[in-house]
Amino acid sequence: MKKLSLRLRLIVYFMVISCVVWLGAGVFSWLETKEKVDEFFDTYQMALARQMAGADWSGLSAGAQKITDKMLKHVHNAEEEDEAIGFAIFDRNGQMVFHDNENGKGFGFLPAEGSFIRQIVDGDDAWRIVWLRSADGKFYIAVGQEEEYRAEVVWDMAEEFMLPWALGLLVLLIMIIGILTREFRPLRGLAENLQKRGSGDLSPLDDKNIPSEILPLVKAMNMQLSRIEGMIAGERRFVADAAHELRTPLTALQVQLELAEMSGDDEKMRAEALTKLQKGIERSARLVEQLLVLSKVDTSLGVYDEAKGLIDWKQILADLKADYASLAEEKEIEIKANVSGFGPVEQGSPLLWGLVLRNLLDNALKYSPQGANIKIEITDGALQVFNSGVSVEEGALAHLSERFFRPAGQKVSGSGLGLSIVRRVAESSACKVCFENADGGFRVRVFKEE
Amino acid sequence: MRILLIEDDPLIGDGLKIGLEKLGFSVDWFTDGAEGEEALLQTPYAAVILDLGLPKKDGLEILQDWRRQNKNEPVLILTARGDVDQRIAGLNSGADDYLGKPFALKEVQARLNALIRRSGGQAAAVIKYKDIEFNPQTRKVLQNGKEIVLAPKELALLELLLLNKNRVLSKEVIENKIYSWDEEVSSNAVEVHIHHLRKKLGKDVVKTVNKIGYILEDA
Repeated sequence: MKKLSLRLRLIVYFMVISCVVWLGAGVFSWLETKEKVDEFFDTYQMALARQMAGADWSGLSAGAQKITDKMLKHVHNAEEEDEAIGFAIFDRNGQMVFHDNENGKGFGFLPAEGSFIRQIVDGDDAWRIVWLRSADGKFYIAVGQEEEYRAEVVWDMAEEFMLPWALGLLVLLIMIIGILTREFRPLRGLAENLQKRGSGDLSPLDDKNIPSEILPLVKAMNMQLSRIEGMIAGERRFVADAAHELRTPLTALQVQLELAEMSGDDEKMRAEALTKLQKGIERSARLVEQLLVLSKVDTSLGVYDEAKGLIDWKQILADLKADYASLAEEKEIEIKANVSGFGPVEQGSPLLWGLVLRNLLDNALKYSPQGANIKIEITDGALQVFNSGVSVEEGALAHLSERFFRPAGQKVSGSGLGLSIVRRVAESSACKVCFENADGGFRVRVFKEE
Repeated sequence: MRILLIEDDPLIGDGLKIGLEKLGFSVDWFTDGAEGEEALLQTPYAAVILDLGLPKKDGLEILQDWRRQNKNEPVLILTARGDVDQRIAGLNSGADDYLGKPFALKEVQARLNALIRRSGGQAAAVIKYKDIEFNPQTRKVLQNGKEIVLAPKELALLELLLLNKNRVLSKEVIENKIYSWDEEVSSNAVEVHIHHLRKKLGKDVVKTVNKIGYILEDA
């Protein structure tokens, strides 16, 4: 039954149940009919016996039997139905003195006054016989009926009930099969639709004519389909953007490589081209690395979620300062850091938030002029990085965290992805990122949204 | 040939400038749209290389403004977008050709040469004048089938004269067309180059039109 369709299962269950009910009803009505029929015939038999018991049998002689035989024959012929009734009269000694010349002839003498007993007549027929004593007390009257006849009557009557029932049952089953088939059609259509569609087809399922029990499922599936569609569209956009962004550094590599090739004897030109080629490769590598980080942040925020905890900002800062020591020294930039709180979130992924601070510090160092200073402040509910000596065009502020956005005319190489990584991590923890030109410099604040 | 290059990426711009100059062009390079647009209004260029994603003013807008002001210099656009729509938009805005990134320097050179040649009414790849043959792509000059070695500026001058046959070119026009802004031009540079050309290719090759300039005349 496990693999059968719901429709087939319902049909089978229904058929079994209807047949059992039908059989039960049949048995019940047969029993009921039997009882009624027994009651009826018993009354009839008893009445006949009483009448016979009330008669005066004292003058009964051998001749009477012959006359009666003729009479009875006549009666039997006239009657259309043989109700298989027989009678016999015995004297006190158990001698049969009179009988109906037919069935009664075979009755054995087993007097049980006023009650019905079951007797075998002529060796194999079961009879139901009532015994009464005659009014004068000299004779025993036995009136009996063949049980097989009664059974036939009961069966005939029960059959009359059961046949129309059986026909009705058949009609009912056919109708149920028809209705179930019709009602399950939308479900089958749904399944066929899903089976037939190609892997790229994420159009919503038709929820017209879907029964209300299934509708939530279809709606949930449609929602999931549209989520997947959105995700795939996002991935496609990302790949397209990434491919687009890689074209520019690749062009730079191509052009500088050609310069190195055509430099000929010009050592200086070759050396310059190679230096720029090197720079271009570094830029491309950084872009690829940032792209990977961003796609990881995008797709597996859930994976990093597991490693949530209190963030050790001091350790992160120490690591970052060590990593950027040479660059800071080269640009004579002082990095001041002050940790007085748990940061934007109390519980967060040290890996992701480390990435946030790294990107912000990296930007601050790259875009600050020689001799600038950088201030990092971490308080309860916020993190901010300030670098002096630079400002961002007001119009560009709003676009800073967009993927691949770089303010016009940048001399410093960058992928345009760092701040979008920052924003992505912040948003995943319900934090906001804001950029502002303030105090003669540029400040980025990441803080918990109230 | 003097080329205007508007490209904001430092590595690509620098590479194109150095490379194209090595290939015989004079290149003025601007990194932002506004300055680049102004440059074309000030100076006659043989062709323009225009990047589409530019700071301050978008490449397509610049192109449309130029065309509106009847600036007919051939324009080659550079685009990082691979999609057809943007190429069509570029060509519809008045571009003569486009190159999708990443591209090779050699391809830029070939397309520039084709654009310059056609804007001078010349369809064949090799420009012929009397017994002289000049191939802009290989930068080689043949006279009666024999190669004549010319200095880069002499080649540029010869190319300019060949593309403007039967037209008198003043000294100022020549200076403007073969020198970029960052090159120093001595007052008699053009005369010196003309002198060298005559020496190498024959006295009659360039005719002097008194007080006006120089001309390459069909016999």
